[in-house]
Parts: sequence; C-alpha cells; structure tokens
Amino acid sequence: MLTQKRIESAVKDCLIRAGTTFRKDQKVAYRDAIRKEKDANARWVLEKIMENARIAEEKTFPLCDDTGIPHVVIEVGDEAVLPGGWLSAINSGIVQGLRLMPGRPMAVKGGPVERVEQSEGLFNDPGKVLPAPVIVKSVKGSKVSITVLLLGGGPEIRAKTYRVFHKRSIETVLNEAASWAASEMKNLGCTPCVLAVGIGRTHMEASSLMLEAMKEGSLTRQNKWEKKVTGLVNATSVGPLGLGGRTTALGTFLKIGPLRASGVRIVSVRPCCCFEPRRATVVLSND
Amino acid sequence: MKRERGGKKIIKVKTPIDEAEFRRLKIGDQIEIEGSIYCGRDAVLPQLVKLIESQNLDQMKLNLKGAVIFHTAVSPAGIGPTTSNKVEIEGSIPALSEAGVKIHLGKGALSQKTIDELKRHNSVFAVTPPVTALFSDKIVSQRVAAFKKEGMEALYEVKVKGFPAIIAIAHGKSIFVTSKKR
Repeated sequence: MLTQKRIESAVKDCLIRAGTTFRKDQKVAYRDAIRKEKDANARWVLEKIMENARIAEEKTFPLCDDTGIPHVVIEVGDEAVLPGGWLSAINSGIVQGLRLMPGRPMAVKGGPVERVEQSEGLFNDPGKVLPAPVIVKSVKGSKVSITVLLLGGGPEIRAKTYRVFHKRSIETVLNEAASWAASEMKNLGCTPCVLAVGIGRTHMEASSLMLEAMKEGSLTRQNKWEKKVTGLVNATSVGPLGLGGRTTALGTFLKIGPLRASGVRIVSVRPCCCFEPRRATVVLSND
Repeated sequence: MKRERGGKKIIKVKTPIDEAEFRRLKIGDQIEIEGSIYCGRDAVLPQLVKLIESQNLDQMKLNLKGAVIFHTAVSPAGIGPTTSNKVEIEGSIPALSEAGVKIHLGKGALSQKTIDELKRHNSVFAVTPPVTALFSDKIVSQRVAAFKKEGMEALYEVKVKGFPAIIAIAHGKSIFVTSKKR
C-alpha cells in the first residue's frame, strides 16, 4: 500500500543517495578518463574526484559542499493509485533528506527585496532550501517514479537558454550549443563537466528538457550527436579544474522535445559540474 | 616530500608560510597544506578588505601574515572551493595579498590584472577540486574567526592536515594560460 509515510521515507533516502553517491556510469567514465589522461595534474584531479566519491559513499558524506537546489521529476503511471497528500509527502521527504544528509543551509531570509540583497542573513535549517517547481509527467503502468536531482550553483552561473537560428540543420544548432559551453569552460572551475542540452519551443520548455536530459542521460550510452558536442568541448583542452588535459567534458546529455514551425529553436545548455548530474530515482508501487 | 602514485612529488606546506618556503612554489606544484587556514567567500572577503583599508584589522585578532585563505563557505555539509573569479572574491585578492596572505585557494581562472597583482604582492593562487567528502577527512578542527552574523559565510579558521591543492598562478605565470597553449 502506498502511503504518505512510505513516499516521504523513500524520497528522503533518494535525496541522500543523489547527494552522496556516484552512479555506475559516472565511475566507469572517470576510470576511463584516468586511464587515458596523460597530463599529470589533470590525472591528479580526476583521481581526487574518484577518491572523494569513494569516501562520500562509504561515510554518506555530501560529494560537494554545494549540495544544490533539489529538483524533482515525478512520473505517475496512468493506473497508479496515490494517497491524498502525496505531493506534500514528497516535499516533506525533501526537507528530511536535506536535514539528514545534511544539505548546506543556504536558504536566504526575508521578503523579495531582502532575499535579492541577502540583507537578512540565512536560515540555519538546510530543510528551508525549497525545491524548484516539480515536474509531473504521465506514463503507462501502475508505478510512480520519483527522481531527485541536486543542482549546484557553479553551473547555474555558466548555463544559458537562448534562441538559435537552425538553418534546417541540427549541426548548426549543436555547434552553437557547444560553442556556448566551450566559451564558459575556462571559468567553470569544476571540470570535467557533463553538458545537459534541451531543445524546445519556449525558454521554459527548453530548460525543462535540459533537466530531463540530466535525469535520463548515461555516460556509457552516448549517441553520435552527444559525442559530437563532447568532442567540440574537449577540443578546448581546458581539462579537469582548468589545468589542461584531454578531459574537459565526460559526455553530453541531449533531449529534444516537440518543435514548432519556425526558423528558430530555443536551446538550453547547462555545463553540469564534475559530480553532476547528482540524481537518484525511486520507483514506488502499491504492491 | 612524498610522491603521488605514478605522478609528481607532493610539497608539504605548513602555515603560516615563511618567505623561503613560499619562494620555491611554482605553477604546477602539487602541495599538501598543514595547519590553520582561513575560509571565507563573497560575503566576508570584501568586509575583510574594508577593515584592512581602514586599518582596523587589529581589532579582529586575525593573523594574515603567511596565511592561506580558502574561498569556501563552512557549513554542516562541509567545505569546497567556490569560483574565485566572482567579483567580490577576485576583487579582494590584491588587498589581502598586500596584508600578508600567501596562498589564495579556490577554483577557476583569474584575470591578467590579478595575476600581476599577485606577483606584485608576493602571493600565489592555488586550486583544488570541490572534493568535500575528502576534505571532511582532512579537517582537524574549526571555529568562527570573524563576522559570525554571516552564518556559513562567516570567516572561519579551520585546522587541516594533508589538504591537497595545485599552484595555478605564481610569480606572474598562470597554469590556465600555459594549459591553453599546450
């Protein structure tokens, strides 16, 4: 039986897993990068990131002190039966997860202006870091899948959502997306990155598709377009932590949504940091 | 001095850093810091600069001579470098260097102007990956040193052992420029 309590507990554990563990595809990608990296300093950075992942997983420590803003994607099966208050239970699970991991207490106090100016200080409670608006999607079946993603601040400084005149060529669009990302690599600091790219009809939709790309992508399963974007960014030779070397991007996660009759595509590009996408999924059912 | 597995020699750096020890640091050096370091970022570093400029630093009982300043917040989640080329952080580097800070520790490339200022004031910039879990293993103790009201963005004094970093900018040279040329 799916209850509020079960949802809350599952989401709490899911958030902690997202913030403290590397997925298998991340471990494979880093091992591969270390093996191929010839630059001693670049290899040192990659090895430290793997050592960090090992300690984080063993001791349930946050991978990064910027534990990020929780983003939640929910896929609800058409035949799923959810208890009343299920969305509140998800929000409550997020609060509990942030307190237990613990998340960084970075929620800003005050009214709108005070929050912008950060003039009234911060809440001490990590649970005050509210999640971004939830994305809910309908899927077939009777299960409910909840994915928690934690989005750090560094990539938000370097991300961009803007229009591209496509000239009826996906290469034109992806070359532009890669050039945006490449121009930001030097200042990102937290390389190697994973590029999340969403292509849609509106800014909101492109950003949402970019988030879905972060949710679904795998570093061990890359299509030819994703490999192309990754290659263009790696050609910058910025390398891990900007120190040079062959690994500036570990991969690209691309998601293309429905598109409109127009000469323009709206493209959202987020250079995710070396630990991202930090994500975990829990699947719940009434069984 | 120890050797990283299959890599370079690791240089041990003790704080406060003396002039002789400082002079041998060059870009690309892998170091491990031992001793007390200050931790602060956007909110607190400009305030520290104001105190220096108004000659009121003595009130705070801080010792910046030979110090390391790590660009990070300190929270229950741990510590990790924030981007050092943010205006409030990079802008604080010249005055803090002049006041005696020897190593500014963070991440990201800095401008040519800051490279020149670091050289002028005999200071270096080092970078470290945001490996918070690993850092948590290297922290011996921590205390708020100043600006307590800033919460996790207050200035902290953190005692560390074997804290890893790479010298990125020193004596007018930047690893970010040389790596681009490679």
